[in-house]
Amino acid sequence: MSASATAGMPRAGGTGGLALGLAVLGFALLAGVFGPSLVPHDPLVQELAARNAPPDALHWLGRDHLGRDVLARLVAGTRISLAVALGATLLAVGLGAGLGLVAEALGRWPSFLVFGAFDMVRAMPSILLALTLMVALGIGIWPLILALGVAFAPHMALVARATWRREGSAGYVAAARVMGASSLATLWRHVLPNIAGALVTQAAIIMPRAITTESVLSFFGLGVSPETPSWGRMIAGASRYAESAPHAVLAPVLALCIATLGFALVGNRLRLALDPLRERGR
Amino acid sequence: MTDVPLNLLRRHLLLGGAALALPASALAQATPRAGTLKVAFLGLDTADPHRHTGSIAVQQVYVETLTSIADDGTVKPFLATGWEISPDGRRYTFTIREGVRFHNGRLLTAEDVRANAVRVRDQVRGGWLSAPMRLVESLEAPDARTFVMTMKEPYGPLLNLLSELWIVAPESEGWAQTIRLPIGTGPFRFGQWQPNVSFQAPAFAQYWQPGLPRAEAVEFSLRDDSDLSLALRAGDLHIGRVGYDKLASVRADPNLEVQFMKDTTWWFWSFNNRSPRPPFNDIRVRQAVSFMLDKPAFMRFVAGDAGVVTNQMAAPGQFFWDKAMHGADAHAAPNEERARALLREAGVNPATTPCRIVSWQSAYSEIAVQAMRKLGFQVEHLALDDIGAQRRLGQYDWDLAPFASGPRADIFLRFVRLMSDGPNVGLWGGTRDAEFDRLVRAAIASVDLPERRRLYLAAWQRAIDNYYTVVIGHAPEPIVNRREVKGYAPGFTWGQHRVDGGLAFAAVTARS
Repeated sequence: MSASATAGMPRAGGTGGLALGLAVLGFALLAGVFGPSLVPHDPLVQELAARNAPPDALHWLGRDHLGRDVLARLVAGTRISLAVALGATLLAVGLGAGLGLVAEALGRWPSFLVFGAFDMVRAMPSILLALTLMVALGIGIWPLILALGVAFAPHMALVARATWRREGSAGYVAAARVMGASSLATLWRHVLPNIAGALVTQAAIIMPRAITTESVLSFFGLGVSPETPSWGRMIAGASRYAESAPHAVLAPVLALCIATLGFALVGNRLRLALDPLRERGR
Repeated sequence: MTDVPLNLLRRHLLLGGAALALPASALAQATPRAGTLKVAFLGLDTADPHRHTGSIAVQQVYVETLTSIADDGTVKPFLATGWEISPDGRRYTFTIREGVRFHNGRLLTAEDVRANAVRVRDQVRGGWLSAPMRLVESLEAPDARTFVMTMKEPYGPLLNLLSELWIVAPESEGWAQTIRLPIGTGPFRFGQWQPNVSFQAPAFAQYWQPGLPRAEAVEFSLRDDSDLSLALRAGDLHIGRVGYDKLASVRADPNLEVQFMKDTTWWFWSFNNRSPRPPFNDIRVRQAVSFMLDKPAFMRFVAGDAGVVTNQMAAPGQFFWDKAMHGADAHAAPNEERARALLREAGVNPATTPCRIVSWQSAYSEIAVQAMRKLGFQVEHLALDDIGAQRRLGQYDWDLAPFASGPRADIFLRFVRLMSDGPNVGLWGGTRDAEFDRLVRAAIASVDLPERRRLYLAAWQRAIDNYYTVVIGHAPEPIVNRREVKGYAPGFTWGQHRVDGGLAFAAVTARS
């Protein structure tokens, strides 16, 4: 598509996109935090006589294959899916960026060893690695966070290394060293605040991937336990009945799509806002 | 449901069949062989029929057995034309059918049968035949048509279990270790096998039953597809198993026909019997949680209208099922009030009591979880794949296990899983009860069928009284075929070739 052809189109990273993204995420956050106390149904309670019942005045999104309220499960699932994604992203940042930056700051050999290990991890696709880790760790929220965090850590490490190397040649880093600051002190006091934007941007990109990966793992039966209402589990459970009860599978699928879109819009805007090359190009 | 008349069973057990009844063969003779049947049932885990650990659905089309389980669950002659059992119930003399050829053209002899029995006895560990083979005193082939199997003690289920002792030509590649290219006598030959993808078996032109097989070839899909209904509706498959939840849409399709297997799958939950953790070692607690089980709702969920509630391993109407025992089922309907009263009596506070549930990744396991949660227990649910579940069950660090089990060639294959030294006992909680074992052993050793039934039922009453395993109910598996398939009917077990039906009798016509 030519530049002129796209000139009139709204940009995903524009303020409109950012507002939409923030609105989606804000709504998801509110739903995750307050939703379970607002929906008058227990997401775990089954009513087998009302299996796959369509939406009605009492159950706005209908019932699933075990007669559970879909809205209650969707809202509870929002909390679980967001919590898992947030936990996994924080772990990926801590493990990937933290370990990567410290190794870089300590010199050539620590960096060689740590990034060699990350390269080995990267040799396997994230989802396959997470799947393997879940098989080894067992199902549950904490193993899920650990598996996803480890799977996405190399991505954070690479971004951290690239930004560290870019900043390492900057004058303020040389000045700090001349003043006698150690590598780790320079990293902590001077470099980290300058690369935080890039790390936040990368984290915003990882979050939706963590949500979708959690859904895929749960779909394969390797995420949270079956009755726990995560979006992936809901899709896995209801997909078998998609023909007779489409409402039960559509609700979590749409929630997953919208949340992923929200994160993508916000992440893209952050990337544009914090991109130093773009800054220099102005 | 299968109702096996007592006199019929006795006649077959003691006398054997003098002649082979082949109701469809006369019809088959007139029909020219045509078409490739595309089917999907269960998988094929090895090319060695003696070492299989999974389904018997596929291999049964290229290898055959001395006996066959008929549609009504009785045992009938197959590669043997008949048998005699000595009065003490230890010596079985089989007459081997004449004119049966292996796929390499060689005629089957009694010595071939003996070689197969010796191979299974000496080389195969585990599996259904391991128990009877341990009891074999001698295996003889005094002439080309006679095979004699002498047991150390009477063994009632032997004829039924021999329906899974597949006869392979000893010259088959890999005979000394693991057979790679089995040469059988079945209506189809061992063709191209792509594990987990497909298995193609072309018709055997010299098959001993005239006019069979009616199809030119059979092609099994071995993919682990959870829903075959779309492939059946699209015409990509001719015959396949379909879940109960798809029956409504399948029945609405005029091109499809729904049939049911003759034996049932049954659902149950087991307590950890080998190393029960408090308070689940208290029979009042087992009783209490069993009162939370809504059997009718459970069976409606798993099998719709096809399910029946009972408290026994044999399905209602079958010979080894007991009406009085069924009528005395304390858990035929849920009773939450009684459950809570029993817990109070046992001094158990569910809110502070963890309960670990191990299951497959099946939706019905969530009903058991719900029952325990409703009572207030702190539930940890481990939903695992088949191997993961088996491994975890073997650790005996759990409290409750809801599972299901499929059709079997003999009721003994259900009872044996509750015996102390039975195969794969984890699903049934690793019961160790010397009296239960004694009763089942006595049942096996009994030549008299009513006595065997009495002993099995006495053993099962112990399982009920001690809450080893609580049976929820039974339902036959639905099998769907396209209407252009003629002459096919599912059998008692998953085996797709038997004396009175199966894939050899099925023909596929052009789509109308």
